[in-house]
Order: sequence, then structure tokens, then C-alpha cells
Amino acid sequence: MLLMFALSPFLVLGGGALLLMLAEVFSRRPSGLAIGTTIVFITSGAFSVALWLYGIEFLPVGILSPWILVDKFTLFFNVLLCLGGALASLLAGGYLVEYKLNRGEFYSILLFATFGGMMLASAGDFLTLFLGLETMSLGAYALTAFRRASPRSAEGALKYFLLGSFAAAIMLYGIALVYGATGSTDLARVGAAFSHGVVTSHPMALIGLVLIVIGLLFKVSAVPFHMWTPDAYEGAPTPATAYMAVVVKSAAFAMMLRVLLTSFGDAESMSWSAGWPPALAAIAVLTMTVANLIAGRQDSVKRMLAYSSIAHAGYLLVGVVVALRSKEQAAAGVIFYLATYTVSTIGAFGALILLGSYGKEAVSYDDLAGVGKRHPAIAMAFSLFLFSLAGVPPTAGFFGKWFIFRAAMDSGFYWLTILAFINSVIGAYYYLRVLVFMYMREPQPGAAIAVPMQSRHVKAALLLSAVFVLALGLAPTCTLDAAIAAATTFRM
Amino acid sequence: MSTMNLDHFVVLSAILFTIGSIGFLVRRNVIVTLMSIEIMLNAVNLALVAFNRAHPANYSGQIFTFFVIAAEAAEVAIGLAIVLAMFRLHRTIRTDDATLLKN
Repeated sequence: MLLMFALSPFLVLGGGALLLMLAEVFSRRPSGLAIGTTIVFITSGAFSVALWLYGIEFLPVGILSPWILVDKFTLFFNVLLCLGGALASLLAGGYLVEYKLNRGEFYSILLFATFGGMMLASAGDFLTLFLGLETMSLGAYALTAFRRASPRSAEGALKYFLLGSFAAAIMLYGIALVYGATGSTDLARVGAAFSHGVVTSHPMALIGLVLIVIGLLFKVSAVPFHMWTPDAYEGAPTPATAYMAVVVKSAAFAMMLRVLLTSFGDAESMSWSAGWPPALAAIAVLTMTVANLIAGRQDSVKRMLAYSSIAHAGYLLVGVVVALRSKEQAAAGVIFYLATYTVSTIGAFGALILLGSYGKEAVSYDDLAGVGKRHPAIAMAFSLFLFSLAGVPPTAGFFGKWFIFRAAMDSGFYWLTILAFINSVIGAYYYLRVLVFMYMREPQPGAAIAVPMQSRHVKAALLLSAVFVLALGLAPTCTLDAAIAAATTFRM
Repeated sequence: MSTMNLDHFVVLSAILFTIGSIGFLVRRNVIVTLMSIEIMLNAVNLALVAFNRAHPANYSGQIFTFFVIAAEAAEVAIGLAIVLAMFRLHRTIRTDDATLLKN
């Protein structure tokens, strides 16, 4: 019974997805599905919170190890992924109805993909990690292709699918090589083998390591492997874009932290001279810089937000690099940053959804001209989320960046911190440009004006995100403590 | 058979993996690209089974192979559905014709 309790977040999500699939077949009115999905997400998140409060040390989670590790890291990410999923399904509840895409499978796919994401965050073995990754990615491919009548949707999905499965194959080959060198697929045992110097005796292990890291970098869309991101994000229906930017990316970073810190986290292979922490640092700098420079040149706000999510992956990678040296502080910074990033990004995409309606979408900067006067409430919410993404106090995004940068300074990564700081200043340019268009421009005479949609679902999602952005910005202590507790999982 | 050892299998799987990845990067027809990915995954399966022979303490390599085969099938199902959607809208399945979305 206690074992069922330990697995309850997964069982609720999986069972809920199956039930909703049944309900979709028998119901004539699919509009209740969005609320149903949100409730399933919230229930699953609530079970995770209950497990946290109950204390995982009282649960018989040893039998599940190493397949599913139920620790505080897992539970924190369960809550985060469920929050992202719940907000995304609320956005979908408005968007899909408005754009006449209201087919119930969207919600089931959302739940199954999040199930995969939770599995990914909790996997302690390469086997479950691979299964979680595939479950999540397959859902994300299907969500991208969801606008079946749109050539852009199909094209974005095709690019995402091809590059995604290519990266999965590369990562799998890396896993196979590491298995060959160490004789185990268990992350902890692989880590033990690595700290006994397998890398030096087995060149295969090193190649495997590089291939695995390439697969991880692809999933978090770091720069040489980011080509699919803007296309898939632009082609996908906007709630799916928000979902991918938030849930898929958070789960991928959870996987990255777990793999790098558990398996490849010993002092020898992590030392700066081992060669690949500096390589990761270079990729982090490249990711931030390239994404910020391209984001500034976009005409489409949706595409700008796609590049902004790549830039945020760069800041998060800085945190990951620092976490390789000073495990807990920086890992906690990354986890907290993901929480702030989740609520701000969902909010920004939600505001973009709310500003448009069928045939009168808000896509480009010009569509936003004069919105500040016509619809002050939505414009204000949008500004709040953009401030948070740019890292302006007292919003959530400020503390997210603050903790990562401070961890980097404390561990002596001065250059990395300075480069990340310069980049966040460049990033502010294109976020503020949205504000300039909203408040200081008037629409061209005769140009099509975006008309906001009427949807209680989307408004509720925006309100919730705004509350979270302000709460995390004004009182970050509680969440930060939880993030630190989650990061202590990696204490060696 | 005594002359066949682990190295042969590993080299064969490396060759297969290289063929698959070159095929993925060079060919423009989506169906051929999908086949290239299949070749890469088969290289993975071969390597896993071969390594399992070197580490006979448990069967994690062979078990992994079964899961890879199953996930591969699911992936191809989704992939072909996307290719079909693409063909209905674009009347082509060549990747260099997919140019609606540009940087």
C-alpha cells in the first residue's frame, strides 16, 4: 500500500490519461476535458507534495531503485512538471476551442507526455531514462503536428521528429558504449565505475560519454543542436509550444542534472583539465549569445519567444557547469530557475494566445501595436511576464538569475558570470521591444488588428502564472528551500 | 567461431552506425532518412547484445534491446503519420522542399 502511495503521482497521471481518453470517446461535449486534465495534473502534483511532507525515508522506495528513484529531486520536478502541464492544458482549453481544433486527444497526449517527463526526472537507470525520454518526445512530436490543416505545423513536426529521433539514436549508442565499458546501465554503478578510472582504460567510455552529452544537449536545445527549436515552436499550436518550452525543457534539464551529477560527477572526470566541463561552458556561452542575437532580429513574437527559450537554456547550462564543481548550491539554482522560468514562459505564451482570436492572431510585433491602450489588463500581464523573463526585480526571473550567477561567482567562474550577465542585458532588448510596441506605437491605418479571444480558461491560467511570478519574486525563500532540499539528493 | 570475438561485433556495429548517420545527413527523402535512423538503432541493438556477452552477470543489455525495438516501432508509427500529414499538405516528402519556416 505504501508502495502504491510512493508511486501515486505516476499512477494518478497515467490512470487519469486513460480515463480522459475514455471520457473523450463517450462525451459529446469535449469542453470539460481541459478542466478534467487540469484536475488530474493538480491531483498528481498534490500527491507529490503529500509524499514530500510524509517523508520519503518512511517509504519502501528501495525496491523501485534504480528504475524509479523517489527522492526529493523527483518530487520537486513532479510538482513543477504538473504545474506546467496544468497551465498548458488551461491554455489549450481556450486555444483549441477558438481555433476549431478541439479534439480530445490533445489532453491525453499532454498527460502521457508529462508522465514520460516525470519518468525522465526520476529515472536512475539508463533503461527507464530512455523510456521516459521516448514517451515524452513522442507526445511532443504529436502535439507539434496537431494543427493537421497547417503546412507549417506538419513541417515543424517533421523537422522536430527527424532531428529528435536522430539525437535519440546518438544518445542510445552512447548508452550502449558506456554499458560496454562499465557493464551496467545503472547510473550509480556507472558513476562508481567512472570514479575507478574506467575513462582512462576504456576509450569507448569516453566516446559514449560524449555521445550521451550530445543527446542531452539536443534535448535542452543548446546551440549547435538547436536548429529544430524555432521551427517546431513556431509550427506547433501555441499551448503545445508553451508546453514544450516549459515541461519538455524542465524534464530534459532534470535528466541532464541527474546523469551528469550521478554518473559522471566524480572529482577526476569533472576536473577542469578533463576537458569537457570547459567544452560545456563554451556551449553555454555560445547558446546564450547566438540565441540572444538571433532573437533580437525576429519579426514574430512567437519565434522570438522560441529563441528566448534557447537563451534561457544557455543560462541554465551555466548553472549545470557550475553544478559540476559545487554540486548543491548551483544545482539548487538550476532547479529554482526552472520553477521561475516555467511560470514566466507559460504566462508569456498565454498572454500571446489571449491577445489573438481566430483569423485575427497576434503573431508579429506589429500586431501588438497599441495593445497597451486597447487592452490594458492583458498588456500589463504580458509586461509582467516579459520583465520576469528579462530578470527585472521584483519578479521571479530576477531571483532565478541571481541564484545561478551567485553560485557561479562563489565557485570562481568569474568570466562565465560576466558573459552571462552581458547576455541577460542583451536579452532585455527584445523583451522591452515588445513593451515599446504595446505602449508607444499605434497600429498602421488599415492594418489588421489582433482581437483578444474570450476565454475563462486562458484568463485563469494567466492569473495563476502572474500570482506565481509575483510570489516567487517577492517571497522566494520557501521554494528556494525546497530546491535546496531537492539538490541535496546529489550530495556524495 | 573461435575467431569471432567482441571486437568484431563492436566494429560491425560502429560501421552500421556510421552508415546510418551518413545516410541521415546525406539523403533527402524522408523515407530513406527514417530507414537510416533504423540502421542506427540496429547498430545500437547489436552493440547492446554483444556487450551483454562480455558482461554475462545480468541480462540488462538484452532487456534493453527489447525496449529499444518496442520504442523504435512506436517512433516509426508517429514518424510515418507526420510524413503522411506532410505529404497531404505539401505533395512532397523531400526534406529540402520543407522551407516554409525559415530563420
